[in-house]
Amino acid sequence: MSTAVTERRDTPPSAAGTPVLEVKDLVVRYGRGRKAAAAPAAVDHVSFSIAPGETVGLVGESGSGKSTIGKAILGLQKVSGGSITYQGRDITAANAAQRRALGGELRAVFQDPNSSLNPRNTIGASLGEPLRLRGVSATEARAKAEDMLERVGLPREAVDRYPSQFSGGQRQRISVARALICDPQLVVCDEAVSALDLSTQAQVLNLLADLRDERGLSYLFIAHDIAVVQFLAERVVVLYRGQVMETGPAVAVTGSPKHPFTQALVAASPVPRPAEQAARREAREALGVRTGAAAVPGSGGCPFRLRCPLATDLCATERPALRRVGASDVACHYA
Amino acid sequence: MALFITKRLLMALATVLVVAVLAFLLVHAMPGSPGAVSLGAGASQEAIDEVNQRMGWNDPLPTQFITWLGSAVQGDLGVSLIDGRSVSADLASRLPVTASLAAGATLLSAILGIALGVTAAVRGGFLDQVIGGFVGLLVALPAFWVGVLFVYLFAVQSSIFPATGYVPFEVSPQDWALSLALPVITLAVGGAAFIARQTRASMLEALQQEHIRTLRATATPTWKILYVHALRYASLPIVAGIALQFIGLFGGSVIAEQLFAMPGLGQAVQTSVSTHDAPAVQGVVVIATVVVVAVNLVLELATKFLDPKLRAS
Amino acid sequence: MIPTVSPASADADQAGSTTTADASVPGAGKAAPTRLSRHRLLGSPGAVAGLLWLVAVVAASLTAPLWLPFKTEDQDFTAVLSGPTPAHWLGTDELGRDILSRIFAAAAGTLGTSMLTVIVGVGIGTILAMAAAGGGERVEGVISRVTEIMMSLPGTVIILAVIGAVGTNIPMVMAILGILMSAGIYRVILGQAKSLQSQLYVDAAKVDGVGPLGISLRHVLPGLANTIVVQAALIFAVGMLIQAGLAFIGFGPPIPQPSWGGMIQGASQHVYDAPWMMVPTGAVLALTVLSANAIGNALGKAPNAAAPHLPSAASRRQRAKAVAAIAAAAPGGKEKDDAGIHSGAKGTLSVRNLSVGVDSAGAGNGVRLVTGVSFDVEQGTVLGLVGESGCGKTMTALSLLGLLPSGVSATGGQILWNGKNLAAATDKDMEAIRGRDIALISQEPMRALDPMFTVGYQLTATIRRLRGMGKADARVEALALLEKVGIVDAARILKTYPHQISGGMAQRVAIALALSGQPKLLVADEPTTALDVTVQAEILSLLRALVKDTGMSVVMVTHDLGVVADICDQVAVMYAGQVVENGKTQAILDNPRHPYTLALLAADPHANDGDAMPERLATISGQVPQPKDWPAGCRFAARCQFAGSACLEPVPLLPSGAGDGLVRCVKADQLAVEGMDWLATDLPSARALEVTPKGGTRELNTPLSGIVEKDLA
Repeated sequence: MSTAVTERRDTPPSAAGTPVLEVKDLVVRYGRGRKAAAAPAAVDHVSFSIAPGETVGLVGESGSGKSTIGKAILGLQKVSGGSITYQGRDITAANAAQRRALGGELRAVFQDPNSSLNPRNTIGASLGEPLRLRGVSATEARAKAEDMLERVGLPREAVDRYPSQFSGGQRQRISVARALICDPQLVVCDEAVSALDLSTQAQVLNLLADLRDERGLSYLFIAHDIAVVQFLAERVVVLYRGQVMETGPAVAVTGSPKHPFTQALVAASPVPRPAEQAARREAREALGVRTGAAAVPGSGGCPFRLRCPLATDLCATERPALRRVGASDVACHYA
Repeated sequence: MALFITKRLLMALATVLVVAVLAFLLVHAMPGSPGAVSLGAGASQEAIDEVNQRMGWNDPLPTQFITWLGSAVQGDLGVSLIDGRSVSADLASRLPVTASLAAGATLLSAILGIALGVTAAVRGGFLDQVIGGFVGLLVALPAFWVGVLFVYLFAVQSSIFPATGYVPFEVSPQDWALSLALPVITLAVGGAAFIARQTRASMLEALQQEHIRTLRATATPTWKILYVHALRYASLPIVAGIALQFIGLFGGSVIAEQLFAMPGLGQAVQTSVSTHDAPAVQGVVVIATVVVVAVNLVLELATKFLDPKLRAS
Repeated sequence: MIPTVSPASADADQAGSTTTADASVPGAGKAAPTRLSRHRLLGSPGAVAGLLWLVAVVAASLTAPLWLPFKTEDQDFTAVLSGPTPAHWLGTDELGRDILSRIFAAAAGTLGTSMLTVIVGVGIGTILAMAAAGGGERVEGVISRVTEIMMSLPGTVIILAVIGAVGTNIPMVMAILGILMSAGIYRVILGQAKSLQSQLYVDAAKVDGVGPLGISLRHVLPGLANTIVVQAALIFAVGMLIQAGLAFIGFGPPIPQPSWGGMIQGASQHVYDAPWMMVPTGAVLALTVLSANAIGNALGKAPNAAAPHLPSAASRRQRAKAVAAIAAAAPGGKEKDDAGIHSGAKGTLSVRNLSVGVDSAGAGNGVRLVTGVSFDVEQGTVLGLVGESGCGKTMTALSLLGLLPSGVSATGGQILWNGKNLAAATDKDMEAIRGRDIALISQEPMRALDPMFTVGYQLTATIRRLRGMGKADARVEALALLEKVGIVDAARILKTYPHQISGGMAQRVAIALALSGQPKLLVADEPTTALDVTVQAEILSLLRALVKDTGMSVVMVTHDLGVVADICDQVAVMYAGQVVENGKTQAILDNPRHPYTLALLAADPHANDGDAMPERLATISGQVPQPKDWPAGCRFAARCQFAGSACLEPVPLLPSGAGDGLVRCVKADQLAVEGMDWLATDLPSARALEVTPKGGTRELNTPLSGIVEKDLA
């Protein structure tokens, strides 16, 4: 196991054979009919892939489409264009039965620990549900649930308890246990730690990291907090208004961001060291990124141009394609 | 907004059409052919057949419906099987009675209900419990029982109001009001209780909104928070509740009209159903639907107008 | 006559809004729902009485042939229209028939056919609601249209037409009534079904590959159970009333057969000569309806409805009494004694020994939420109140404005502002301070603004009130304020409603609103938590500029140490209702003295540089204890890796030695000298078993008592 981990860290993800997940030109529009066609897409031609054992972080602000992408992959959101391929199988429009056939390889951990477990079911029933769907016997499911609870640091007796008897952090551990109980290949973590306090957030982040190293899991880690993404992800995709702005190794994207939006995002994330934060603040103000003017609906061009200090007329007419700048791919004419 | 109104108008039209079809089918399921009903007991089968043939009651149902609809659109709802009078004319004379009754009861319910509901929500504590108990009792009392009680109290024990009968407005506005008083109060008892509950719940919900705290944090006087901001927020569900109540009260007039011997639509539907007078039943169902749908439409538009989110879009 | 189904106040059981930051009011816990329903039913005396009455009526009517003194048709000509007599307990009717016998003979049919309405109506309503909630937009659209049409029908008239067609076939009529009523039931249930459908556990089940039907049956229907029972009880009552009403106007069961409505109709004919006849049947009918309603209402009551932000007049009176008690307890006018030098200085806020608790009259039984909190805020400075959820920081902040939620109040200590103790001030006194001296901005700007009024109205009304300006001046000032908070097109924003602007813009408007009274102190409760980081940075810059320009001071509640580093001059770290460390921001963040502060910093991924991101973050085992579980000693001891026996005694807040900083830890000096680091305490159990077996075993054997048992109340 440990060799697998080192291998993952050393080799560039694209070279690691068939990706676990490949998202190509994904487009998602909300609503239906003419209105939807006219509205800007929530996800606008987004492509990325996740190698076996790799963690990809999806960062962006509210309205960036990051959660929508996660939902599309999980089959919770209808896709308007493009394709999603899981281990070579096209799952773009898979129905419930086809998803069941995936055998629990593709799983999810959601944001709100208060609503991600059915309050009327015992923990055991919730954990056992995916197993029971695949024909595992009740006794076996219960035993597996107990093992899994133990693995995420909870007592085995918790199977007979209800979610209301646990704190938010504990419930999130249970959600992680539920996601991992069928030995998945890929787990989509949608803001999985955002609702947690610092100390519990750290517990769950560590747990996710440990489980990944133990089992060679891949994560799609969706979050608005770039520091949290940085902790877990090897590669980061930065989204703005449904489009990829920058993508590359986590260290490069967060350490020396190239796209003006990524720069603004990194600079705005405050650090708890007063002197350093004062310096960062000045640097951020010097960037010259303007206040949140609304994105441009419809038309081509760069969605960030109204806030961007580098924007020219070109940015209004031509959507910048992703191009290699340093270690990252950046969608900016002037990066 | 224009689109919204158009949509609603089409919905209203569809509602009336659906009811017309439904009423038509129901009426045709009534026992006894129209000819038999109109000629009364003792008529010969030949006579009955002749009448059915002559009046087109043997035609296929769709043909009959189209014919009926065609004349209904022109205001002709046919003639009664019992007395041969024009159904339209009969209902036109009855509509004002029921309309005054339902409108008066809705108005009284709204005034009493809002007052009680707001008081319960705003005062809280013991008064809230007292109002809650009182309202709970009113909801449970059958309207017809309350009506009889009122007759006993106000007409038998002390003859403040006339016990029965209806005086048209044109004859004497004062007597018109007096003749309506008992039936309106009777109907308003339950209606007021319903609106009081709705109002109390809506007010409490409004007071739980965070912007109420902002108002307090900016030293807004209590009366203004309650009667400008909270009541405004609560107004949407309250008006929707009043609209629902009007529908209920319009139907409730059947009982009030029976109890107080008022020549309204309710009485018409009751007698025509008892006598199997098909055209009359069908006419009254359609007219009642048109009135209810129209009033409902107006109140619904009012609700939407109260909501800035809908008004702006 | 068909009373509309009251849209019972939506059951708050499941419906969202669960992520309030400092929701530390006890009793907010949700227990297993079946237990809760039973609890609610048996907790209401009215519902218990109702249940007993219904059981009695059903039992009496089912056994009627065995005990009834008379047959329903027996006529006693010696006692026509009689009142209650030993022979006829409830009197007789115009034919001398025994009323008691007839009431109970009629009961079974009435109750049974009303149940038919319930089964048909609630059944169809529930199925439609689940189909609409699970079937997507289009299905919902169609079903909602159809039910809208059904709801705008004159139901009574249609029922009568049905009677015309099918005759007085009561079961049939009641079933059709059920169909007509299903539209209203659908509306009530739909909202909850949709909220259940949007729960994340439904998403999780969909990811598992559970089909739509499975989702509806396994995850939605059980959640609807309570609402369904509530609706059933209410519809049952309505059905009985309608059935009686129909019988009253002559569409009841065939003539000699007794029915409640028919009996009242008969009685109404004799209201002149035998008014008593109205009483027994009316009373039985009303009691039965009342019982069903009482059960429905008791079950339908939202378990822990949110507290109103403006308490009712009754609770305001109660609070006024509590405030008077504090005022009496505090040494009136002699605050200077223990407030020291600060209380005199104008524009300085001094909080001394403040405690906040749940009112003992309520369900919380006087649980303490904040104890012994003291801090100062100098003019023109920013104080950060930082800590995790449930540490009491929001309660502390709200108490500064006297805006604690209903049922929670300051129970002791002083909030000294310009020589006045605000903890003991009446609401009237506070009204003079709110907005003008101390202003508030909160976490969710959208919810902080009134959705029914334009930004312009809210701003100008506030300016006119707080500054005594005329309409025109207030408008000019509103424009100026909006520009001051960085809004470029102020004139346009004035005309908008809150839902038409973005979150960041709304927070700027909320700040403008807070500034309209030119306050000296701004209480900011997590003002940037709900915003994107880039917007957060802008709002923080704005606040910093405002502090500089206006000289106001700020109390900033936050859980984000980065925000503290960015804007705060002083910081008070709170844990479990206490201040554990207090001092200059730079001193505390760069050299934390309290283990909790140390741990928070170690657990914060933002504290780590991109390149030096550790493989594991430090964690704090366990969680913040519930207020009722606070120990007498150090409240952090149970989670502290440095804890020892000395920590079991109460720990005072003592000078930390670093500037004017204070720290509540007996080991603070020792830790400072030894320079210890907070270590990750949750080594992965697999690894821990190999490397440090002891730590690992402890993790595995975490006793179940560690699980938070929340209040069932």
